[in-house]
Amino acid sequence: MISPTSRHRYNSDAETLPVGYNSTILKEFVDTLERLGDAQTLDVGPVCQENITFFARRMARHHVCDMFSWLKRENGKELRTGDEWKYFDYPERNFNGIQLWDLCDYLEDADMIRLVKLCYKMLRASGLLMLIAFEKKPAVSIANTFVIGQGYRVDIRPQPHLELPWKFRHNRALTSLLSHFIIVRSFRYHSGIREFLFKKPKSVRD
Amino acid sequence: MLKRPKKDENNTSFPATGNSEVKPTPPTPTPSPNVSQERYTSEEKTTIGERITIEGSIRGEENLAIEGAMKGNIEMGKHNFSIGPNGRIDGEIHAQDVTINGQFKGTIKALGKVAVTKKADFNGEIKAKSFSVEDGAYFKGVVELDREPHKQPAAAEIPRGPSVPEAAKKPIVPRTDVKVEK
Repeated sequence: MISPTSRHRYNSDAETLPVGYNSTILKEFVDTLERLGDAQTLDVGPVCQENITFFARRMARHHVCDMFSWLKRENGKELRTGDEWKYFDYPERNFNGIQLWDLCDYLEDADMIRLVKLCYKMLRASGLLMLIAFEKKPAVSIANTFVIGQGYRVDIRPQPHLELPWKFRHNRALTSLLSHFIIVRSFRYHSGIREFLFKKPKSVRD
Repeated sequence: MLKRPKKDENNTSFPATGNSEVKPTPPTPTPSPNVSQERYTSEEKTTIGERITIEGSIRGEENLAIEGAMKGNIEMGKHNFSIGPNGRIDGEIHAQDVTINGQFKGTIKALGKVAVTKKADFNGEIKAKSFSVEDGAYFKGVVELDREPHKQPAAAEIPRGPSVPEAAKKPIVPRTDVKVEK
């Protein structure tokens, strides 16, 4: 059986970074949370001034936890035990929305499962989880920032200091890893970017 | 080590007058208290050196930079504060503008701007008017800025045909270059 996860460095289908695009999912994510009035959000990075300012001006409290820099710091270490995830230590049911960007593209399945479990705990009922996944290998295996601009246009800014191994997952693999969530919407753009919006069920036992 | 730059004695400014005819006047020996206060706040900066460690609180009426280590609260009022690349601070900072180049853990409440450079390692909370952070900084924290009022989507933003008012009731249709996957 072929694993749904494959290391990017062995993928010969390398492409240059796609140009910016207008994100429909981001708009839905932000509009929904803004309507709450007192939403708390979490952005897992990479750290980006434009994005922090964007969310901090719209949400009651905007948290930033740059997991990309943390992964880079932990480079070479096994992340399979729970202790290493103490960096991602937020209270349960704390957030109305979590913006994962493409963090999942840099995690092995075991770490991805742990991340999803933590996000599930941290989200309040009906909380939103947004994530992005590249469909094709970027030319250079470095993390990118998805910079939010006017009218929910998202541009991609490479982060040369964040060279991380990249993984590929099919849609089915991604959604099965997030099976505890309800999938609200997913888009695939011609540039090869896939966006997903998930929601924590309203009344569930955490 | 405390370093204080010397004042530039030749750079004394005088208030402009409305008279078109300027008569030579003898130089004022000492500037007025107001001018002195202005120059003091805008130019003076005290630097606490790399080999200094402080435990306690600091209250200041001039700009301050810390290159060393500090544990405690810093109250600078309307003056600026910065942490140097080797500086380490654990505490709460109240100031006008704050620049973080080194390590910081705690809370910053700034009347103006907080700037975090790529050399910074930040872990804490920021309340400020504006904020900047460079790519590459280590950052974990909460940012609270003055909020924009939430704009309800205007009717003009909803795609609708002029002869089909029902279109307004339909959800926003994605761009044509987008393939929807369900």
